[in-house]
Amino acid sequence: GAWPRLAMEASELWVGFVGAGRMAGGLVRGLLQAGKVPASNVLASAPSDKNLDAWRELGCRTTHCNLEVVHRSTVVFLATKPHILPGVLEEIRPAVGSHHIVVSLVAGVTIQTLQRLLPPWTKVLRLMPNLPCVVQAGAMVFSRGSNAGDEEATLLKSLLSSCGLCEEVPESYIDIHTGLSGSGVAYVYLFAEALAEGAVKMGMPGALASRIAAQTLLGAAKMLLETREHPAKLRGDVCTPGGTTIYALHQLEKGAFRATVMDAVEAATNRACDLAKD
Amino acid sequence: MSVGFIGAGQLAFALARGFTAAGVLAAHKITASSPDTDLPTVSGLRKMGVNFTVSNKDTVKSSDVLFLAVKPPIIPFILEEVGPDIEARHIVVSCAAGVTISSIEKKLSTFCPTPKVIRCMTNTPVIVREGATVYATGTHADVEDGKLLEQLMASVGFCTEVEEDLIDAVTGLSGSGPAYAFTALDALADGGVKMGLPRRLAVRLGAQALLGAAKMLLESEQHPGQLKDNVCSPGGATIHALHFLESGGFRSLLINAVEASCIRTRELQHLADQEKISAAAIKKTLLDKVKLESPSLSVASASKVSLFTNKSKKN
Repeated sequence: GAWPRLAMEASELWVGFVGAGRMAGGLVRGLLQAGKVPASNVLASAPSDKNLDAWRELGCRTTHCNLEVVHRSTVVFLATKPHILPGVLEEIRPAVGSHHIVVSLVAGVTIQTLQRLLPPWTKVLRLMPNLPCVVQAGAMVFSRGSNAGDEEATLLKSLLSSCGLCEEVPESYIDIHTGLSGSGVAYVYLFAEALAEGAVKMGMPGALASRIAAQTLLGAAKMLLETREHPAKLRGDVCTPGGTTIYALHQLEKGAFRATVMDAVEAATNRACDLAKD
Repeated sequence: MSVGFIGAGQLAFALARGFTAAGVLAAHKITASSPDTDLPTVSGLRKMGVNFTVSNKDTVKSSDVLFLAVKPPIIPFILEEVGPDIEARHIVVSCAAGVTISSIEKKLSTFCPTPKVIRCMTNTPVIVREGATVYATGTHADVEDGKLLEQLMASVGFCTEVEEDLIDAVTGLSGSGPAYAFTALDALADGGVKMGLPRRLAVRLGAQALLGAAKMLLESEQHPGQLKDNVCSPGGATIHALHFLESGGFRSLLINAVEASCIRTRELQHLADQEKISAAAIKKTLLDKVKLESPSLSVASASKVSLFTNKSKKN
């Protein structure tokens, strides 16, 4: 386009969101919390005001015009529902320049599709975040399209590490990430609920049990991340011979817990692949 | 030093074979006895050059270290029989699952004031000098006695001292363990055959795979979980296979097995402590001194064989 190339400094970055739903909201909260981008530099568009109110409360600017987002931003996050995206891309195509960095969060839409529907010079990246980005403890993976280079990847990584773990991967890992971590968050919620339920059965009040269950998961995860030990080793460290833990683990093994979890990751990954084909 | 085995079955054979192969003991310094000369292991022992006799008393007299290598229910009969010949110099080593040191000491103390008793749990791979043995020393066994046994057993594999209360767990794990491994190997070979391998090759490869894996684990600082990960390339053959194992509850089956073996060992010990015994367990033993109250006995039947009739014989 005719617009001058905008500064690449993160603090002077203009960031736009086409689509203002839950996932986009999670990312922007992370960015703002970490001070990566001032709220006034953020512009989000959505068809209705329903979602945009929350953005305004954060200090972001809002619009109903997708083109305006593209005109006023360097980094453009595409965060629409999958079936909406093709129409949106058609709409913004004329405004997309070689200075733009287009980052798609849209589930199931491949880089190939994105590049087909955007001008040939577009720098495209595909991102798969997960919900805890909202609390800056997300797990995100991204892949680059043909025109995205090291500079764009580094910028994206630097922006997004404000929201949690952010790694570049080959595109083929993105569906796996969905199965592991995108949906994975729900498995953890299920596990937390079941833990608490067990405690309630044994006589603990529910609210307390829930808080303790969550803290247990948090603490265990923190130890995993910080000690870098193999989970099997950490598990062994907790198991006193003949003690409570090994008795409990035996129950989990009897229930083929591990296989069930593997099945879950596999099912979600396969479903992600299937949806992408549609 | 001379070693004796009361009992000439699988255990005596395996240990004798192991000791002689390791060169810690010459065959002619080993004596084994059993009333049943038809056991296949008897001819094996003879071929080795071990002194075989039908007299348990002869074994005791010609041994310094005396292994009780009979089935657990037979132990009380043996102790009753050879008790008078046990001297302070003897180190009595019981390899019987579930038989406590105190039960042996109690029995022998009617004959010898300070019997040296060591309880040991080993396993059949001593035969190829890759046994797994633990031992616990009794009241009158000195540190040197324990070390002597440890030296013997270390010549045929791994050996370490433990507290007696762990021995049932060891039975469940490494005592029975080779049977779990044989079962696994049989099944692995079937898998190989199903996918087109000749049986002999399948067995050979399966065994080598387990041997190699065990060796890697023993020589590595790493957790088996880590070693497993090292074999699993993303999306590869191995991880697909492991998923099947997990789905089948493979791990829990193994935990169940160790637990079941350990619990059964304790049950048998409990039964022994109550001094009740089934006819099937004693059929191979010469029992002219034992009164049978009924010709058809079972553990469940009301009439039981009574052991430890102390009033019957004592000199």
